Amino acid sequence: MHTPERPPQPQPPPEGHDSGNPPDRRSFLARASSMGMIAGLGASYGTAGLYAARYLYPSKPRDKAWMFVARIADVAVGGSLRYTTPGGEKVALARQGSAGTVEDFVALSSTCPHLGCQVHWESQNQRFFCPCHNGAFDKSGKGISGPPGDAGQSLPRYPLRVEGGLLYIEVPTESLEVADASAPREGHDPCLDGGAPL
Amino acid sequence: MSLSPLTWIRERVPVGPEQLRELTNEPVPNHLKKWWWCLGGTPAYLFVVQIVTGILLAFYYKPSPQTAYESVRYITEEASFGWFLRGLHKWAATMMVAAVVLHQMRIFFTGAYRKPRELNWLVGMCLLLLTLIVGFTGYSLVYEQLSYWGATVGANITDSVPVVGVYLKELLLGGEVYNENTLSRFFILHAAVLPVTMAALIALHVTLIRLQGVTEFHFRDEDRKKPAFFNFFPDHLLTELSIGLVLMVLLSVLATVLPAEMGPKADPLSTPEVIKPEWFFYVAFRWLKLFSGTLAVLSMGLIVFLMYAWPFIDARIRRSRPESEASVWIGVAGALAIIALTVWEASVAH
Amino acid sequence: MTLEFKRGVIAFLSAAFLVSLLFVQWREVSRRAEESGHVKPHINVPAASKACVDCHLQSTPGLVAHWTGSKHAERGVGCLECHEAQKGEVDGFDHYGPHIATVVTPSDCARCHTEVAAEFGRSHHAKGGNILASLDNFLAEVVEGNRGPIALNSPTPGRAFVHANGMSSANTGCQQCHGAKVGLESSDGGILTVDDFKPGPDGKPTNLDAVARIVKDQNGRPKFASSTWPNTGIGRINLDGSLGSCSACHSRHDFSPRRARQPENCGKCHLGPDHPQKEIYEESKHGVAFRDLLHEMNLDADEWVLGKDYTGAPTCASCHMSGNVRNGGRITHDPGERISWTNRPPVSLAMDTDLDHKIVGETDPEKRRALVNDTWEAKRTRMQEVCSVCHSAEYVNGFYKQYDDFVVLYNEKFAKPGQRMMKALVDNGLRTKADFDEQVEWTWYYLWHHEGRRARHGASMMAPDYAHWHGMFEVAERFYMELIPQVRELAEHGREQGKIAEADAVLSVVNEILARPEHQWYERDLAKMRAERGKEPK
Repeated sequence: MHTPERPPQPQPPPEGHDSGNPPDRRSFLARASSMGMIAGLGASYGTAGLYAARYLYPSKPRDKAWMFVARIADVAVGGSLRYTTPGGEKVALARQGSAGTVEDFVALSSTCPHLGCQVHWESQNQRFFCPCHNGAFDKSGKGISGPPGDAGQSLPRYPLRVEGGLLYIEVPTESLEVADASAPREGHDPCLDGGAPL
Repeated sequence: MSLSPLTWIRERVPVGPEQLRELTNEPVPNHLKKWWWCLGGTPAYLFVVQIVTGILLAFYYKPSPQTAYESVRYITEEASFGWFLRGLHKWAATMMVAAVVLHQMRIFFTGAYRKPRELNWLVGMCLLLLTLIVGFTGYSLVYEQLSYWGATVGANITDSVPVVGVYLKELLLGGEVYNENTLSRFFILHAAVLPVTMAALIALHVTLIRLQGVTEFHFRDEDRKKPAFFNFFPDHLLTELSIGLVLMVLLSVLATVLPAEMGPKADPLSTPEVIKPEWFFYVAFRWLKLFSGTLAVLSMGLIVFLMYAWPFIDARIRRSRPESEASVWIGVAGALAIIALTVWEASVAH
Repeated sequence: MTLEFKRGVIAFLSAAFLVSLLFVQWREVSRRAEESGHVKPHINVPAASKACVDCHLQSTPGLVAHWTGSKHAERGVGCLECHEAQKGEVDGFDHYGPHIATVVTPSDCARCHTEVAAEFGRSHHAKGGNILASLDNFLAEVVEGNRGPIALNSPTPGRAFVHANGMSSANTGCQQCHGAKVGLESSDGGILTVDDFKPGPDGKPTNLDAVARIVKDQNGRPKFASSTWPNTGIGRINLDGSLGSCSACHSRHDFSPRRARQPENCGKCHLGPDHPQKEIYEESKHGVAFRDLLHEMNLDADEWVLGKDYTGAPTCASCHMSGNVRNGGRITHDPGERISWTNRPPVSLAMDTDLDHKIVGETDPEKRRALVNDTWEAKRTRMQEVCSVCHSAEYVNGFYKQYDDFVVLYNEKFAKPGQRMMKALVDNGLRTKADFDEQVEWTWYYLWHHEGRRARHGASMMAPDYAHWHGMFEVAERFYMELIPQVRELAEHGREQGKIAEADAVLSVVNEILARPEHQWYERDLAKMRAERGKEPK
């Protein structure tokens, strides 16, 4: 690949002009400087690479918040209600005790513990059903058939808290589901008529 | 039968250290032992920095008017080290323009574009223009006030090119005015089309150098008996590595001390009082203010054409007047004009 | 340059690069730390209220922004939690799906804030709307306006008014502090209020006849009588029968505790010539310290306990409502719980209250003891708990001695004699029963309702200028220079008309009062001068 008109290459030029050093000292210097160079390059560019990896890794865990659900007085013992998280996930919430404490309540996630699909309630079969692999759960969220039944998995429960007679739930606040604000609602468009004329 | 992994690989990829050495052992003229002759490697190094940081930024960037600004804000304020990577990308872009211009000036004043290297000058000119365009499209992606209005003004400048201008502009914007499709166009140009083109041209640029060799340059006081060349590997590679490190230190300090910030979000209904492009467009911006629309664009096009054609013009001059120093004087005049216009634009608000 | 040297240079430059990267890491860490304290809590719109927020972001963005900054928003309490109405409520209407009501009443707030609402319900604040049939309202409705439309004297160029609304001074002046009786437009042209709907304990109307008369717009939304709504008066009388308005102090829609803790909030009503508590506070050392130490007031604290969360200065709320370290941080929404004198009436009364939180008027000690449920001493002790966070017992007792002395001086020297003279005039038929139709009635009203209150409030909250120059000085001038001469003039006028016995009766009351040692200075020299003049030959 050399250009033809070039004179032939001299042998690799002597490494440096200060040839006064004895050969063993020079080879030691060569080895030491090589090591220093390789270590330095590895450490600095390696650190930069680590920063890049840290940048790519999610900077914080999924956002969660304690949300108000209901006054505990409004939930009858044995009764249940459906709560929808800000991200749109459905939560089945039931009251099983009358102590008025957080132990009375159970809040079931609708995310299947098997592989994360969304379960739905089948009232005719009195069970939660997961369409992905035919998993089924009873009213209390215990797996009864399909992969969750075999593995003894239950629907995950959300943390609850009672404070001053009010029930709060800790739920994730983000999801890919984006409410379509432009979807037509019942009746006329509220954003256009803006209520009573001024 | 046990084989060492090296042998295993060698059997399948029949390239040995000897071939590799042969391939990389570009004989490097001795003048490149002086650090300030190594400007050509600098833009190449910065190009790699831009590719790496650009890919990282693209992981979070979302090119649409609704999401662009917010995603840049996310990178700057929320992603770990996002502000640093964005700072690196911004400063490396600035330095890359500077490095390309310095490299070109070195080539010009040493006459390294002359026969047989005219073609490489043309490739280099293309790379210069592409660097500027990549800078322009990248700046537009932030979708802040200045970048939005910069893009609008830039697109309307192409409009004043006679005959084809209006089509060029609509092609660039994806519509008659800045619209929903514009940002994704700019993004794909900035992040795919232009960098791939540049990578190909850089490969061509280097191949041509490898085929023609680096221009030899002798100083008057040089010892003629000493070898005129030294090896690229490992000697010159170490030089380039050092330059790379200096650039990295410079970039991280700049990215930390003068981080890339965010202006107000683009508002298509209100143009800011003072709008300025990035500094490397100051020359063109001032030129546009000096002459009216079409004249300015046409004269600028003529200048770019003359720059492309310079090796051939220079050859003609040297044929008729071999001892002419015209190229030096023209170069000095050009450089002074560029500096003067840039300083002028920088020092006034309008 | 040798290769070794070059490698050394590279090692050195790598180290420099590494150092600059460590600097980057340090910046990243300090940036995170800085942000962790400053980032506002992320607001999550409850799913049920998402449609409300989406739409109101366009129609009333400021309203949503206020809510976004509220504790409610932080904890997942959205629009429907407060505005949702049950079917059958008189002001409920379907609003793009949910059934809601515009006015949020204390019963709505009480669904969660039960205890607070109960305290508030007991307070004098909640009964602020009762003024609607009082002396003050007579002023606004009759003296200042007219109970009925007022015919125009002449047209207003450019405007097409039919008549003047005689009640507008009462609507705007009285009711925006005291609270309106919220009303809906009736198909017969009148206004339907709680009196017509007769709500049961659940707040739903029992008189369906009245419900049938509610005027609704094309969307089925009941129309509020514009003279009664908007209104945030503290004693608002609501359609569901509840009393009060929580937003009077806890402005909608951010329900800011911070704002309710600041004196400006109370100053919406507690200011001006008749009860300048806000100005008095500003003159006092407490108010001066508050202005100065605003940055130390920790107004965003969760509990805001005096002595724990802040000590810079007390605000209105600190003394009258908020918790302190001496009372275990107990907050009350009945500001009367810590007040030992009521300085509202012409003569100040001790705040002995009965089970209904009304002041006991009984004078017989035995019967009184049986009636009193919460004594003035208990109330004073509660206030002294607040004082003692900063002041010694001796200091506090000393202050209360000065305060008691001042109130008793006003009561005994001016208020009781004034009251006695006004009564004597009516009893003897020398003044009409109608208020404000005679000069002496205005004089007396000024004396106790404006100047007398200024004096007493000034003394109660340590504002010497209000106690004296704006207070007792003007009380004295009004008493000696206007009230006494006007009472005498009315008596003389009666005598001229033949009511000799009645005139003598009134004059003897006046003379009896002026013969008391504290008033003797007034006419001693005058009498001397008159006596000397009498001796001179004519």
